[in-house]
Amino acid sequence: MIDIGFLASLLASSIRAGTPLLYATLGEIITERSGVLNLGLEGIMITGAFTGFAVSLATGNPWLGVLCGGLAGMLLALVHAFFSITLKANQSITGLMLVLLGLGITGFLGRNYIGEVAFYLDPVKIPILSDIPLIGQVLFNQDPLAYLALILAAILWFILFRTRYGLEIIAAGEKPEAADSMGVNVDKVRYISTLFGGLLVGIGGAYLSLAYAKLWTEGMTAGRGWICLALVIFSGWMPQRAILGAYLFGGLDVLSFKLQATGVGISYHLMKMVPYVVTIVVLLFSVIRKRAAFGAPAALGIPYVRGRKE
Amino acid sequence: MRDIITPVASIAASLVIVGILLAAIGINPLEAYAVMFTRSFTSKFGLAELCVKTTPLILTGLAVAIPLRAGLWNIGAEGQLYMGAFAASVIALYSNLPSYAMLPAMFLTAAIFGMAWAAIPAVLKAKFDLNEILSTLLLNYVAIYWVEYMVYGPMRGKEVYNFPYTDLFPDAATLPRFFGTRFHLGFFIAIIIAIAINHIVNKTDFGFSLRVVGANPKAADYAGISRQKVIIYSMLLGGMFAGMAGMIEVSGIQLRLRPLISTGYGYAGIPVALLASGNPLLVMASAALFGFLYVGGSVLQTTYSVPVSIVYVFQSLIVLFIIAGQSLRRRE
Repeated sequence: MIDIGFLASLLASSIRAGTPLLYATLGEIITERSGVLNLGLEGIMITGAFTGFAVSLATGNPWLGVLCGGLAGMLLALVHAFFSITLKANQSITGLMLVLLGLGITGFLGRNYIGEVAFYLDPVKIPILSDIPLIGQVLFNQDPLAYLALILAAILWFILFRTRYGLEIIAAGEKPEAADSMGVNVDKVRYISTLFGGLLVGIGGAYLSLAYAKLWTEGMTAGRGWICLALVIFSGWMPQRAILGAYLFGGLDVLSFKLQATGVGISYHLMKMVPYVVTIVVLLFSVIRKRAAFGAPAALGIPYVRGRKE
Repeated sequence: MRDIITPVASIAASLVIVGILLAAIGINPLEAYAVMFTRSFTSKFGLAELCVKTTPLILTGLAVAIPLRAGLWNIGAEGQLYMGAFAASVIALYSNLPSYAMLPAMFLTAAIFGMAWAAIPAVLKAKFDLNEILSTLLLNYVAIYWVEYMVYGPMRGKEVYNFPYTDLFPDAATLPRFFGTRFHLGFFIAIIIAIAINHIVNKTDFGFSLRVVGANPKAADYAGISRQKVIIYSMLLGGMFAGMAGMIEVSGIQLRLRPLISTGYGYAGIPVALLASGNPLLVMASAALFGFLYVGGSVLQTTYSVPVSIVYVFQSLIVLFIIAGQSLRRRE
């Protein structure tokens, strides 16, 4: 039943399905590393998906769509940053409301875009390498944003662990008091990280509508934002490890579709549950193995108030 | 007095922003709000629909409000509602109980299933300190897909022309309706439950321990109150109310199980509870306000073909404004 063609197309689409997850996961890793927990990924992604689609349709330029999708994500992240950093409000609830807000606004503004055909990102074959059997089709026949995601993971790893700025982000998330006393502006670092995170999550959303699904439908993120939150934990807040998790969950997504198409007797509706159940199990593992040992930033989700003693 | 300012200002600010959005797609917001108001309040059917939408919102509002008193966020009312609806439907369709026992049995199983679904995040929170916001939320998706699976598969009816529905419930399994409208008995059940829980919360030891754990967990330890117990009990109560809401929806309105029995009632429970600041009696009032938004939302849909998702925008804005107001007051 499983031949090489099936395998190649399965793996290639796993990467395409995993790329939006990778962008969003990388974005959330940077946000959480600085100490801000943004649960609003689902709402930010759908806003990126819609904005990207609408801009591409209006301008004929999918790249402009991707950019605007990212900026829209940044705008929602700004709301989150204001609430969690400036107002020091409950970050979980603020994030959750961003989900409702994003789904609501895009459902409202997006009704006239359903069924429209925009301009999409096409695959770019890398010469010679794309001719290698199996691997060529899987790895070297993707669109530019899919390649960029991999490069980005490497860049973010470098920034986080090899530069002074990365050190400041990690310090803001681990020991904000210490960072503050070393002259790091904790609020500023957190603002920048949250906004940058929102940018990446928005781009992930735009990828979904402009490169993966190539259409706009209401609620098309279908829970991907929540899965990325688990992927952040799964990756231990390490950009390089996010790659594997994102493609794995991308593959799971594709597999449920393919199994459906090949008529294997597993219910499509039961398959749709799997990512959520897996996410809960991942979360459970992470808490059982203790947050610190698992690598969560120590001050994650805790507003920093200068001069407050814990 | 200042307790009133934050909610009222939040509602007003949200109305303004939603109005701007309406104007952006070429609808006069003042006219739209006027239509929402007159359609909901000036006819028998409008008022009946108002009660129909308020009913599940009272229960999901309580499902969020009670755990919130202990400092827990139950984001899972939506899934607990679906599980309650599923359990009630199984009883309605397959139990062959005598008619006098049918509705009580449905009610009871729905309550138990709602509780059981809430027990998972409750235990994970109490034993492993797993973030209940994430776990309750993720379980919503599982419950919704579970109901989808059942109505597409094992529970699909024989007389439904391939639609993903169960067959209609027997008459004994439906709640009585009144005045020739969809207004049904569930409305009174929800109100009685709200009054009863208000008594429990304000007059019993359990209600007291809820408040202590919510206000100051350390004080609870000194007072010898088991935090783990309070976490579990308050979540179970919440799940029970949401499960009941599910039963009331299928047995009062849908009369069968199908996907999308709830249009986000579980999530709407969050602003309902916040607006009422966790007070069960005020939950009834804020549920009525959101019931009005739901009716108004469908009025906008039929009159101007505005998607109902505008209701979500409204809900999220109200919560954000309330949170902003609370934070600002804390800083003073």
